[in-house]
Amino acid sequence: MSVQSVQIARERLKNLLVSDRVQCTPDAVERLTKELYQTVSKYMEVEPGKIEIQITRTDIHIKYMGENH
Amino acid sequence: MGEVIVITSGKGGVGKTTTTANIGAGLSGLGKNVMVIDTDLGLRNLDVVLGLENRIVYNIVDVIEGNCRLKQALIRDKRYPQLCLLPSAQTRDKSSVSPEQMKKLISEIRDDYDYILLDCPAGIEQGFQNAIAGADRAIVVTTPEVSAIRDADRIIGLLEASGIRRNELIINRLRIDMVKRGDMMSVDDVTEILAVDLIGVIPDDEQVVIATNQGEMVAGGDSTAGRSYMNICRRLTGEDIPIEDYMKHEGILEKISGFFRRNQEGAG
Repeated sequence: MSVQSVQIARERLKNLLVSDRVQCTPDAVERLTKELYQTVSKYMEVEPGKIEIQITRTDIHIKYMGENH
Repeated sequence: MGEVIVITSGKGGVGKTTTTANIGAGLSGLGKNVMVIDTDLGLRNLDVVLGLENRIVYNIVDVIEGNCRLKQALIRDKRYPQLCLLPSAQTRDKSSVSPEQMKKLISEIRDDYDYILLDCPAGIEQGFQNAIAGADRAIVVTTPEVSAIRDADRIIGLLEASGIRRNELIINRLRIDMVKRGDMMSVDDVTEILAVDLIGVIPDDEQVVIATNQGEMVAGGDSTAGRSYMNICRRLTGEDIPIEDYMKHEGILEKISGFFRRNQEGAG
């Protein structure tokens, strides 16, 4: 079965919005995410799976899901 | 004091003007005093969608420049006694009005109406800035397409940056059959990606085209889109009406046949 066109639409849209919102390419966002993780891990012990970076229209959120989550 | 709502989208052709006309008619049908303002200078359309194009004498620029009194420019709709239109100027450009002038005009009239709806032009230039200048809240119209949703996201960002924080989304022209077969983004897809409150979904309905041909509105009538518009109006007045679940209309037989169809596709 071929890929549903809606999946392609969703993917393209998500990539567009990331670059629109922070005005950089999806590739740059990926690098930014890695560097942010590396920076945070310099100061505290963090697991890659527990850190979440979310870019919205006006803010960049870095969320660490600690013991309670 | 009336509520001032701008109806905007970024992208053109997604149904801003049709939405403004139908929400205006619908709210007046609920007994509200409504003024709809066409802020698209140079590309006047709301009068045509409302079927009032032959009754224009003065327009919004005439009012702002003091060539006439507001009352002389307003067109009352005979079918909806509580609805009136302030038409745009067809022969003027966007720079004929400033955001400050719009704000002043709205502050002068808002006490006389329950709702003032501003039909915003496409784009993010001065026409958009004029339209949002006096607004308390916004309705952002989109269709379930990548380009329209992208522009809606941009518009929401600009609205927030201008201090308009109450922004709600209408997903227009949803094709339920296409969503079901995976060829159109669903309501959930769009709201998840845009992260904004939804105020209504209008299924694609040929009755809208037929009504618009005749300068009539579907709101208040017995069509799928008409009922959806009325529900949006009720939500605007504060009634708690859940968003229609258009995907749930399947009967038991359709479900069974759908199950077999999906299984066959999976095997093939």
